[in-house]
Amino acid sequence: MNKTSILRLVLLVTLATLLAAGCARKPAAPPMEEEAPPAVTTMPEQEVSGIQEQEMKEADVMERDFQRAEEVSLPELERIFFDFDQYVLTSQAQDILDDNAAYLKANPGVNVRIEGHCDERGSDEYNLALGERRAQAAQKYLISLGIDRGRLDIISYGEEKPLDPGNDEAAWAKNRRAEFVVVR
Amino acid sequence: MLRLLITAFLLLLPSLPAAAQIEISAPGQQAIPMALTRFLPLQGPQNRELAAEVDEVLQGDLDLSGLFRLLDPEAFLSDAEKIGLTSTSVNFSEWRLLGAEALVKGAYSVKGDTLTLEARLFDPVGRRLVTGRRYVGKVGDVRRMAHAFADEILKSLTGEAGPFNSRIAWISDRTGQKELYLAEVDGHNAIRISDHRSIVLNPDFSPVGKELIFTSYKAGNPDLFRKEIYSGQEARISNQKGLNISGRYRPDGREIALTLSKDGNSELYLMGTDGRLHKRLTDNWGIDVDASWSPREDEIVFVSDRQGNPHLFIVNTLDGAVRRLTNAGKYNATPAWNPKGDRIAFSRLEGNVFDIYSIRPDGTDERRLTFGPGNKEHPRWSPDGRFIVYSSDETGDKAIYIMRADGSGSRRISSPGGNARHPAWSGRW
Repeated sequence: MNKTSILRLVLLVTLATLLAAGCARKPAAPPMEEEAPPAVTTMPEQEVSGIQEQEMKEADVMERDFQRAEEVSLPELERIFFDFDQYVLTSQAQDILDDNAAYLKANPGVNVRIEGHCDERGSDEYNLALGERRAQAAQKYLISLGIDRGRLDIISYGEEKPLDPGNDEAAWAKNRRAEFVVVR
Repeated sequence: MLRLLITAFLLLLPSLPAAAQIEISAPGQQAIPMALTRFLPLQGPQNRELAAEVDEVLQGDLDLSGLFRLLDPEAFLSDAEKIGLTSTSVNFSEWRLLGAEALVKGAYSVKGDTLTLEARLFDPVGRRLVTGRRYVGKVGDVRRMAHAFADEILKSLTGEAGPFNSRIAWISDRTGQKELYLAEVDGHNAIRISDHRSIVLNPDFSPVGKELIFTSYKAGNPDLFRKEIYSGQEARISNQKGLNISGRYRPDGREIALTLSKDGNSELYLMGTDGRLHKRLTDNWGIDVDASWSPREDEIVFVSDRQGNPHLFIVNTLDGAVRRLTNAGKYNATPAWNPKGDRIAFSRLEGNVFDIYSIRPDGTDERRLTFGPGNKEHPRWSPDGRFIVYSSDETGDKAIYIMRADGSGSRRISSPGGNARHPAWSGRW
C-alpha cells in the first residue's frame, strides 16, 4: 500500500469510529414493553449440621477433669523458659534440666511428656513448630544426660495453652516454656 | 502529514466509550450514586422486619463493595413507594432528578413459610433494567437471598459476581474451648460445627466440596481432620507422629499441602485428600509452615526461618526450587495467595504489633494494608479476590474483620465475647 492509501484508510477509520461514538451517545429509545422474565433462583434446602448447645452437666465436667488428672505435674520436674523466637536452652534451663534428669534417674518408673509452648505473638502455625523445637531441645538434652529416649515423649501446643493470659512481656515470658508432665 | 493524522487517530481512541472497567480495589475513584429502596409487599400489608433485613444486608454488601455512594432515602420521591419490577413501571425521571445512576427495587410475597423475593437493578440514566432475579425459598433464607442479589449486582456492573453469599469459618473459644464456627459473610447466623472439646485450629475450606479441613488435638496430638459441612461427618486424615498442621487444599481440591514433623523437623508435604502422602516438598533444617497455594497450583508460598527470622518463601511444586519472597521486616507470617494470582497477603511484625501487608509474587510493590493499634493476622481472600478476612485484637478480644483488598472499608463481623481467630473464606457457595 502506498502512502495515500494508508492516509485514506486512517481517515476512513477515524471518521467511522467518531460516527459510531457519536451514535452511542444519543439517549436510548424507550425500551420495549416485554422484558425477559427474571431468572429464578430456588434457595437450597440443605441445613448445616450444627452442634446443639447443651448445658454442661456436672458429670461431663467431672469426667473431663478426671481425664486431666491422669497427667500430673510434679514439683520435682520444673518447667524451663525460653527467649522470644528461640529454642536454644539458656544456662538456667540447663541447670533445671540437670535437676530433672537427676529425679528421673532416681525414679526409673516415671515417664514424661515434654510440652513445648510459645507466647501469643506471631503465626499460630509457626509457634506450633517452634513449640515442638523447644520440646525437642529439652528432650535431646535429657537424652544426652543418660535418660532413655523411650521415657520421653514430646508434644507442641504452640501458643494455644498459655500459662498467663496477659498481653505484656511479663506474661509472654512465662508462656515461652517447656513443661514436664508425668504420663501413667 | 500522514504521521500527524495517525497520531490524531490514536489520541482519539481513549475517548471512545469503552466497556465498563470498574475496579473495586480503587474505591472513591468511581462511587456510583445508588438509590436503594425499601422492598414492598407484592400484595397485602407490609412486613417491616423482612424489608428491613433485606435493606440491612444490601446496604452492608453494597457499602463493602466500595463501588457505590448510597443516596439518602429521606430524599426519595413518590416512585420509591411504588412497586417497579419492569422498566415501564418505574418513573426514571424522578430518580435522575436525585442524581441516581443505579436504582434497586424489589418486592416480596410470603405464603406460609415460603418466601418469594423479587429484586431488580435499574439504570435510571439509560432508563432500562440492568438485571432482575426472583428468589424462592423459606422465610429464614431472606438474608441469603439479599446476599445473592448483591452478588448479582456486582456481576452486572463489574463482570464478576460478588462473594457475599459465601461462608466464613473461624475458631472461637466461646464454649471455653477452641471450636470451629461457620457463619455468613457478614458474621450472621454463626453456628458451632465442631464438638472436639479440646483444641481446634486453622480451618481451610475445600474449593470444590462443602467440606473443611482443620487441625485438632482431640486424639491427644495435633492431627488433621476433614469434616463434611452438611452431613457433619468427620474423618481424621493425617495422624503422623508430631505435627499435622497448616492443611491447605490445592485450588482444584484434589490434594492438600500441610506441615508434618514426622521426620524430626517441620517440613511441607503434599498429601491426597485420603491422607496418602504424595511428596515431600521441603528438605531443610529450618521450620517450614503456613503453606498457601498459587491459583496456578505450580507454586506455594510458605513461612520459613531457614535464613534466620521467619520470612516468606516460594517453592515450586514440580521441581522443589525455593526462592525468597520477603526481605523487609523481621518476622513475616500467615501468607495467603490471592485467587486471582497477582498478590500475596501476609502479616508482619513491625515494632511490637502485627499488621497486614500485600506483595506481588515477584516480590515487588509491597503495600501495608492495616494501621492503628492491635495485632492483625491470618489474612484470607474472598473467592473473587477482592476482599480480605482477618483477625484483629484491636478491641482487646480477638475478633474477625473483613475489608477490601486495598485495606479500606474494614468492619467487624464476629460478635463480642469468645476470642475469634483463624478465619477462612469459602469458595462460591
